[in-house]
Amino acid sequence: MRFEISPAKDGVTRLVIEGELDAVSVAELRGDLEKLVKTRPSVVDVDLSQLRMVDSSGVGALVSLYKRVRAQGGSVVIKGLRDQPLAIFRLLRLDRVMLNAEPRVPPSSPTHKQSKSRH
Amino acid sequence: MARPRSEPTTSMSLFATRTERTTPLRYTETSNLRYDTVDGPGDEVPALIRLQLAGILEHRDVALRAVSTACKLVTPRPQGRPWNEFQMQVVSAVGEAFNNVVLHGYAGRKEGSIDLRIQTRRGLIRIELRDWGASFDPTKVPPPAFDTLPESGLGLYIMQSFMHMTYRAGRPNLLTLSKRYLAERASAARKTEGAT
Repeated sequence: MRFEISPAKDGVTRLVIEGELDAVSVAELRGDLEKLVKTRPSVVDVDLSQLRMVDSSGVGALVSLYKRVRAQGGSVVIKGLRDQPLAIFRLLRLDRVMLNAEPRVPPSSPTHKQSKSRH
Repeated sequence: MARPRSEPTTSMSLFATRTERTTPLRYTETSNLRYDTVDGPGDEVPALIRLQLAGILEHRDVALRAVSTACKLVTPRPQGRPWNEFQMQVVSAVGEAFNNVVLHGYAGRKEGSIDLRIQTRRGLIRIELRDWGASFDPTKVPPPAFDTLPESGLGLYIMQSFMHMTYRAGRPNLLTLSKRYLAERASAARKTEGAT
């Protein structure tokens, strides 16, 4: 699993996760998601187009991110799901709620700067 | 377990300790699982693959690679959308089963092992996981409350949705996951119709 969190334009924080997000790899991600939530982002744009596989632990981490950012008034937009991850999201009925949702809050100025990657 | 000599069996043991991080690998028997049947197409190709794994998440990928490869044994044509979906569902379900044993069955324990047996024949895969950890009662686990966007309790739902699951608590606990490859069945039915 490889991931990268980087501030993008207009207050939209970009999170890219590639490879396999599962019970093994999710531990690498959790700490950085925690830091991300603490920055109270307006919009988190999650690109999962290169995510090959996800399990319930990985889904749990994404759902947690989604709920916590929304609870702070922000939005999480998940894009690019396909193949096995899309099938899992559909099975768990997350596709209706979490996929391609429009941001609830208009993007504002950048809220933080953070860039990190794992290989 | 006594098996007919004609059935190929692969048995492999993987052990590691949490402290030493060593993984001695021992093949006890290896046979060619993709043997060609002399009786022609349509005959069953039974196979048993047995892995003994340490009950740690680092060994999950070994189990899933074996299961993923075993999915090729259910059909002479392991390709196309129906087979891809079959393989995806089997691997996803077994991954959740493995997680369950490690994260819940062996929670708080330093050591534990998982005995994984994969049986295949044309149109069917059956996977058994044996563990010696804490047991659970699947009938007592409520389905996820999807309206609340649950963050946990999803693994059992994935297992039961993608495969037929049975569970027997004991020493060892035995979780069985099985799935038919329906495209293979439909293909066989068409052949039968064509022959009559």
